[in-house]
Amino acid sequence: MRLLRAGRWITGIALLLLAGVYVRALAYTPMERMQGMAQKIFYLHVPAAIWAETAMILVGLASVFYLFLKDPRLDRFAAASAEVGTVFACVILTTGPIWGKPIWGTWWSWDARLTLTLFLFLLYMGYMLLRGAVSDPGERARFAAVLGICGMVLVPFIHFSVYMFRTLHPMPIVLKPSTPSLPPVMLATWLMSLGVFSLLYVGFVIQRYALSYLREQLEAAGEARNA
Amino acid sequence: MPETVPQNAGYMIAAYIVTGVIVVGYAVSLYLRARRALRP
Repeated sequence: MRLLRAGRWITGIALLLLAGVYVRALAYTPMERMQGMAQKIFYLHVPAAIWAETAMILVGLASVFYLFLKDPRLDRFAAASAEVGTVFACVILTTGPIWGKPIWGTWWSWDARLTLTLFLFLLYMGYMLLRGAVSDPGERARFAAVLGICGMVLVPFIHFSVYMFRTLHPMPIVLKPSTPSLPPVMLATWLMSLGVFSLLYVGFVIQRYALSYLREQLEAAGEARNA
Repeated sequence: MPETVPQNAGYMIAAYIVTGVIVVGYAVSLYLRARRALRP
């Protein structure tokens, strides 16, 4: 219960800070002249993309360790991270086309970056469907771990797809070897948004982890009563 | 440089609303699921 309460507090604070990001991005960050107001979607789209990919890397790492250690906490964390990653993937796949339409003239293009991001979302969905389809906890955790590791392997391909293929999607302007190509005021807003999305990830994962733990405890108590 | 800035604020507003709905919706879903699990 203490974990659940902590997660709720962190999420509440993160949601308030997200409102602050909205205000800063819309009222106190200058507009980009080439793209107009649509460029401000960047402050939500990119942090969500970073966390959707990072969440899958964390699912994969927890899965690798789970296969060696068989610690149920790792499986619980992987399940929580996958669900939160799916939420951020939804944000990318909705804000991306909304940004693409005024800039590229199309909602969607089947290029490498967009298609691989859609594939990441489908992998997340598959991961959760798999967890829901297998009833034995040990088997469920093992099968899900294998899929989680496959998902982790996909992430570098998504990030480097803009270098490997010709795509409509622009090159990274912040996460690249050289210095970010953003004016300081825009970079500050983006960093604030990244911090808020990080806090949202932490708050959501803690709550989701606590929820899984709670359900397991209730199921165990129910089985003990029936035995 | 274009002479006039593109007028596309509607897309930005849509994206900000959609993000808010998804994030707040998930927070509410976590709250309701936990409340249901805790119900005796």
